[in-house]
Amino acid sequence: MRALPIRLPAETDFRSRLRSAAVTARVGTWLGICFTICFATGLISHYAQNVSQPIPFPTNPSWGYRVTQGLHVVTGTAAVPLLLVKLWTVYPRLFIRPPKNARRLLLEVLERGSIAVLVAGAIFQLASGLANSAQWYPWTFSFRATHYAIAWITIGALVVHIAVKLPIIRGALTSDVEDTAYDRPTATEDGPISRRGLLRTTWLAGGVAVLVTAGSTVPMLRRVSVFGVRSGDGPAGIPINKSAAAARVAPAATSSAYRLTVAYGEQEVSMTRGELLAMDQSSESLPIACVEGWSASGTWTGVRVRALLDLVDAPPGSEVRVVSLQESGPYRQTVLQGNFADDDRTLLALSLNSEPLALDHGYPARLIAPNRPGVLQTKWVSRLEVAA
Amino acid sequence: MRTTRVVVGTIGVVVGAFGVWLLLSRQDVDQLVDAAVWLAAGVILHDGVLAIATLLIGALVLPLLPRAARAPAVVGFVVLGSVTLLAVPVLGRFGARPDNVTLLDRDYVVGWVALAAVIVVTVIVASVLRSRAGGAHGPRPGGRRRPHRA
Repeated sequence: MRALPIRLPAETDFRSRLRSAAVTARVGTWLGICFTICFATGLISHYAQNVSQPIPFPTNPSWGYRVTQGLHVVTGTAAVPLLLVKLWTVYPRLFIRPPKNARRLLLEVLERGSIAVLVAGAIFQLASGLANSAQWYPWTFSFRATHYAIAWITIGALVVHIAVKLPIIRGALTSDVEDTAYDRPTATEDGPISRRGLLRTTWLAGGVAVLVTAGSTVPMLRRVSVFGVRSGDGPAGIPINKSAAAARVAPAATSSAYRLTVAYGEQEVSMTRGELLAMDQSSESLPIACVEGWSASGTWTGVRVRALLDLVDAPPGSEVRVVSLQESGPYRQTVLQGNFADDDRTLLALSLNSEPLALDHGYPARLIAPNRPGVLQTKWVSRLEVAA
Repeated sequence: MRTTRVVVGTIGVVVGAFGVWLLLSRQDVDQLVDAAVWLAAGVILHDGVLAIATLLIGALVLPLLPRAARAPAVVGFVVLGSVTLLAVPVLGRFGARPDNVTLLDRDYVVGWVALAAVIVVTVIVASVLRSRAGGAHGPRPGGRRRPHRA
């Protein structure tokens, strides 16, 4: 009687010639491009959220952060099918038996270790990023700190991986995709599709992934983005991230006792919303671009922040502490850097798209500045403060 | 080439080590343990569940299909499978909040059914066209009837 055929497969059991370095290198190139864009735009987003900015984050172009953060999420989403296909092509390598020679064993352990780090990091970044973009946090670690740290680890492991595989990558990319020079000896069986077909399928899957999600940030795709996190609807035509109910600000925000206080050292001025509305009003068309990747553009009307700071003679270039009515939360207080505070387009907005600001958009008054992460566009503002 | 590889590899190690320092220095132990669980779970779920499920589908389902349908079915499976996986957070609506109707404000299940329908119809149409073309675009020159292997 034959033994049960249940055993750990060997590398040689995998026969499909689709699982070839010729395919891996090509998919890997585009995956590397996606990861590089994700990493670069992630660094931009991380820096934009830093309180201390030795090199001031630019206020131009006003849509800059909308584009970089949109790209971050779009390239991360497109990377999902690329990563899955790439891992599929190299899956047999998981079952290579370790060499007996001690030196080669050490090299093998090091190489496999770097790949384990790369695979774990890549899956973690894509999974946690996708969950975050849908505001799902089924973990206890800090998303921002962990996603940022593991981005560095993953990119480091990717660079090591490229260094290790450089001869194969070069060889595979400079020869035809059907070339068998880098194939495993047993990988000789035709698959149901050709290698070119598999590559085209992978690009197609990446493209579909983008089309069905990117509507959250690209308005023209809204109708086809069946998996978009937001349809783009909301009060005054703009979605919201944190509601007044979640921030527990409704009583304070709607109270007749509400005053905006502007302070520079000992000097203080307090104003009602009516008094703010009586000041010179400016209108600016600016996007609200969230770190989760969705964005929408609106026309905001209100008082220039610089005009408010002038009421207390705060000098140009002053950094402003913006305080919200929220009683708790990491973004109850934010710092508005001097170059943002002085920009003419930076407003304490009182209305959006010709409607009074909705409570969920930050009524009675909110900050809106060009080229800034949405999480720093503080809502329900009660105090603008410049240290003397 | 050797020097280039050593230099590039060293840069990678330094960049990765910086990330490890970032990871370990900014959170407490409980949070780090949770991050480690997530890191390991991703690899285990892929290598141990997803990859094996894909192998089984390839070995068990593919041979049941008419030959002309196999290539379109593989294309449809890769597209629908990967896109379904990345849509898990919205399909499950795990982040939905009663106080924010602008978040996750689509019927994602209907969206999935529509996407799946488009893909399935495309696969069927492509299969019929291929079968009418008389195997000119058949998957295997020579037309051996061997079940597809992994």
